[in-house]
Amino acid sequence: MAYVNPPRPRRHARAAMLTLCAGACAAAAMISMTELAHADVSLGVLIPSSGKGAAYGIQQQNAIDMFMEKYSDLGAAGKLKLDIYDTRGENPEAINLTRKLMGGDVVAIVGPQFSGEAEVSFPLAVRGEVPIVTPMAAKPGIANANQPWAFRYALTSENVYGPLLDAWVKHQSKPIKTVVVLMDGKDAVSANDGKNVFPSVLKAHGLQILDTITFQTGDIDYSAQVTRAKALNPDGIVISALYNEAAHVAVELRKQGMTQPIVAGVGINHPKFIELGGDAVEGAMAGFDFFVDDPKPAVASWAADFEKRFKAQPSNAAAEMYDTLYLMRDCIISTGITGKDIAADRVKMRDCWANMKNKSAPLMGTTSIEKGDAVRSPVVLEVKGGRFSVAQ
Amino acid sequence: MLLQQLTNGLMLGSTYALVAIGYSLIFGVLRLLHLAHGEVFMVGAFAGLIVVLWFSLGPFAAVFGGLVVAGILGIILELVAFRPIRRRGDNYLAPIVSSVGAGLVLQEVMTKLFGAEQQGFPRQFAGAVYDLGIISITSTQIFIIVVAFASMIALHLFVTRSRLGVAIRATSENLEIASILGINVDFVIMLTFAIASALGGIAGVLVGLNFNAVSPFMGIDMATKGMAIMLIGGLGSIYGAMAGGLLLGVGEVLSVAYLASSYRDAFAFGLMIIVLLLRPRGLFATGIGEAR
Repeated sequence: MAYVNPPRPRRHARAAMLTLCAGACAAAAMISMTELAHADVSLGVLIPSSGKGAAYGIQQQNAIDMFMEKYSDLGAAGKLKLDIYDTRGENPEAINLTRKLMGGDVVAIVGPQFSGEAEVSFPLAVRGEVPIVTPMAAKPGIANANQPWAFRYALTSENVYGPLLDAWVKHQSKPIKTVVVLMDGKDAVSANDGKNVFPSVLKAHGLQILDTITFQTGDIDYSAQVTRAKALNPDGIVISALYNEAAHVAVELRKQGMTQPIVAGVGINHPKFIELGGDAVEGAMAGFDFFVDDPKPAVASWAADFEKRFKAQPSNAAAEMYDTLYLMRDCIISTGITGKDIAADRVKMRDCWANMKNKSAPLMGTTSIEKGDAVRSPVVLEVKGGRFSVAQ
Repeated sequence: MLLQQLTNGLMLGSTYALVAIGYSLIFGVLRLLHLAHGEVFMVGAFAGLIVVLWFSLGPFAAVFGGLVVAGILGIILELVAFRPIRRRGDNYLAPIVSSVGAGLVLQEVMTKLFGAEQQGFPRQFAGAVYDLGIISITSTQIFIIVVAFASMIALHLFVTRSRLGVAIRATSENLEIASILGINVDFVIMLTFAIASALGGIAGVLVGLNFNAVSPFMGIDMATKGMAIMLIGGLGSIYGAMAGGLLLGVGEVLSVAYLASSYRDAFAFGLMIIVLLLRPRGLFATGIGEAR
């Protein structure tokens, strides 16, 4: 006997299907309503966690961890989420990751950290209409050239060196008339400072540059450059470099018997400068907006907490990251960014940064933004007894 | 100024030579590029630093520590990254790629263990400065020159006067014939890696002492310089590596002093190209077997 399918209970099946659909739709609606009530807000973060810039990236990751522990709750806007990527300090990677973040749901990008990376990433963010804020890159002009979407939290070097040179010249017992500039020709901000910013400020102070001698990021031997500088017998030495290279140059200067006073660029703001430089950097002067021995209670307690957790003193890079995230969060809450309409949220974030006036952050005090750049007063510091302290 | 610059070049060149000898030894015996040699140099530097910081010992102990640790690392690399590939037959590419991988692993491991920051030897290791009028030199620099040249002389005596040295030279001439003659080729290759790496380790400590810049990335530039020197001196030539190292050190320093620092690498590779055009086999090329 042939097998005959039993008649299908069509009406019941349809009813069951409708009930299921209705249930599913209701569940989906409930889930999305819950999501709407607590939609998270995402920020993209680009740091150099590996590669030659890892020293900065590791400090910044620590600062991010501390920040998120304290400030990840946005109240009605839900939670702050960070999409953190490693650029390795390389421009191509910074480009790729900026593109990736632009295509996602981030409200803004915090980073990249080096001026070279910022120079290639900022134009992309402008084209993609995403606010992008570099906490650390200090080369003049990079934010200004990418308005209205690009900003920087670090002070540009041209805002620092005027007051620094004033203090350095007054500080010396023997008058300074001539200097030799030793600069890193590979690091974007150090090269620009050595070629453009320092010369104009030195000229304004009536100082003559006898020679500008270059070295490259990552060099370990500076003997040839220092011997060349020694032959010129200048009254003072200007070092425009990042902290590793600057410390080694200072050691080589003293090794070859040069005792001239040293003034250095913004790149030396890192505890490693003193650790590597030792006695050779005693008396060196520089201008920063953050230093680990700042007696302000908020800075002192944050620095102590950082040192306790990570067994290392916080650097400028860590502090700038912390404050930038703080101001990002402040903008999210104050402008009502919710993470629901990304395009509108990005405009709100841009306007918040563009119109920032006397906004307080925990570590570096009050900041205003002018043409994309942060404006604050730097502090002139001197290495004394193995620590940075305010120059008297 | 010229005399001081020549002294500077001699300091740099002597450490370059020690690194390049390692490349030449291994190339001379195995005809392959050991691209993790820069990282062995870096591990040697860290080993010296640890001896000083953890055990509070002096520069001689640091050099010995760098030598021993780098030598052992060389043996491990030979056993793990080279020997298994060599046994699977002729493949020139696989050992090179394997050594690149080993180098990256070493770099990452050292970054995890010691951080990405540069580390320095204690300040007292800077040594006293002797101002001799036309040049100034530190006691540490004198120590470095003495150790570098003593290492090169010791290697020369080992290769020319000892039975093991003869075995290394024979193996470099022809691996199969050396094996037929009863030389334990595997042992000789391992020994070559150990000696080459130990010299690299010494160079690492000397660079650390002189420039105080020990970091997981310090081997990258040194590796490329080492390879350039090997080509300048002649593939597989120990004496070529010694002379090439000193030549490059002095040349680089003079190019920085009288031109600009950006010409440093251009000078190194420009010199390499000129030498290869004029003497395609390098300045001293005949291989390790030359030392007879």
